[in-house]
Amino acid sequence: MVTNTKEVKGKDICVQRISPEEKRELAYKDDVCIGCGICAKICPTEAIELGEIGAIERTGVDESKISIDEAKCVLCGMCSSACPVDALDLKLDEKSIKDMAEYPQLIKSAEISDDLCIYCKACETACPRDAITIARILPERSKLVTGEIEIDKDTCISCGICEEMCPADAIEMEHHEPTSSDPTVSSDITVNKDKCVYCLICRKSCPVDAIKAVCRSCSYGDYDLNPEDSETTGSSFIDEEACVNCGWCQEICPVDAATVEKAFEGELTIDQDTCEACGACVEICPCNVLSFPEAEFGEQSDKVQADETYCIYCGACENVCPVEAIEVKRTAVKHTPTKSKSWEKQLSELKT
Amino acid sequence: MTAVELIREGLSQKEVAKILEMDRSTVSHYLNGRNLSWNSIEVAEIITKFCPKDFLTLTYALLNDSEKTRVIVKTCSKKSYKASVEESCIGCGLCVDTCLLNAIVLDDLKARIDSDWCNGCNMCRDVCPTDSIKILEVNNGY
Repeated sequence: MVTNTKEVKGKDICVQRISPEEKRELAYKDDVCIGCGICAKICPTEAIELGEIGAIERTGVDESKISIDEAKCVLCGMCSSACPVDALDLKLDEKSIKDMAEYPQLIKSAEISDDLCIYCKACETACPRDAITIARILPERSKLVTGEIEIDKDTCISCGICEEMCPADAIEMEHHEPTSSDPTVSSDITVNKDKCVYCLICRKSCPVDAIKAVCRSCSYGDYDLNPEDSETTGSSFIDEEACVNCGWCQEICPVDAATVEKAFEGELTIDQDTCEACGACVEICPCNVLSFPEAEFGEQSDKVQADETYCIYCGACENVCPVEAIEVKRTAVKHTPTKSKSWEKQLSELKT
Repeated sequence: MTAVELIREGLSQKEVAKILEMDRSTVSHYLNGRNLSWNSIEVAEIITKFCPKDFLTLTYALLNDSEKTRVIVKTCSKKSYKASVEESCIGCGLCVDTCLLNAIVLDDLKARIDSDWCNGCNMCRDVCPTDSIKILEVNNGY
């Protein structure tokens, strides 16, 4: 008789069924889970139960957001297919069903086009899941300005004014105490031409006119600069495990380099009369959809506000709201086709 | 070991030709009547008349070899069955893993039962979480 085994590692859960024919393994990652409870809704055997996510989120109690009853679980994989953040993954003989065409998958994606990206890092800052990393290589400063600078060391009195004034830290002096054999306060003064931006502040502030400097960018405009030298290059990376396809990157990107496709369509409504502004929804929302308006000092914050642009209609806020002030409606569940009528039915029942 | 061998002999006596063909020549010398305990054949005969599930599970328990179990049970089961899977099947594969005769495969997230191999044990039906399997005995000529 084939039976399931369950292994719990920290907050992660793994349910297995091994038979001579195949090995089925359902792995749950708690740090990826957003507590939406879609797995519990779609499970055909009621093997998954959503925990007290409000308490778990707020108290940081050492408990998984969901529990899986291995006696009820039949390892069909529906939870894995329906999880909007891929916190659950069913593997058949070590191969994920997310890579199998016969299993329906939610249609969701987030991409940043390297051709369009200007590496401004707005998405990296905005991403509520810290899923985006932008690595950029800045242009070389010395290639963006040209000029000439020379210090007449015979005239220089080593006062150090230019060194102190230089905004680019390009001037360096070798200070020392004077001795009878070397009665000077500095043995040398050098200009680092990679750092110098030819702003001419040193020349203007030198009390003895020891510095000769010209800025060629000013006199010749940009003619002698190679436009390619001013380009910032780089690469972008989206951590698929952390990404929830909320769309912040797409909305904030100034050059439309980020594109996000969401699996669910729907509607989010908040009953302002019922809301008690407890903030549980704000904390659980993986997409930073919900927030409180800035309150005047000493005044109680207003009711919660929502910007549906970033909503993925996962329903975590609805689950966590203690006064049932939030309603999340799912009107469409986009998934790849399946020939199975039962899967089709279960997936479409996620619509509310 | 001898008990297992004897039971297999008993079954072989009944379906000599078939077993010979499938079990190659290694057991052929048992079939000539030597080292035969008639008592064991009687036991074997009783076993084949068990309900399909008991016949199958007992044979498997005695042999602990799924290939031999498949051949013996298939050979000695006189009845035929018509198995069907309804659309409510979720493709969990529990029936596939349960079927000792390897009569079930998954096809596009739906179980497909090979009625030729089905011996009507109903174990798949019992484990099915969605109650999607129907197995009927077929009476030829009726």
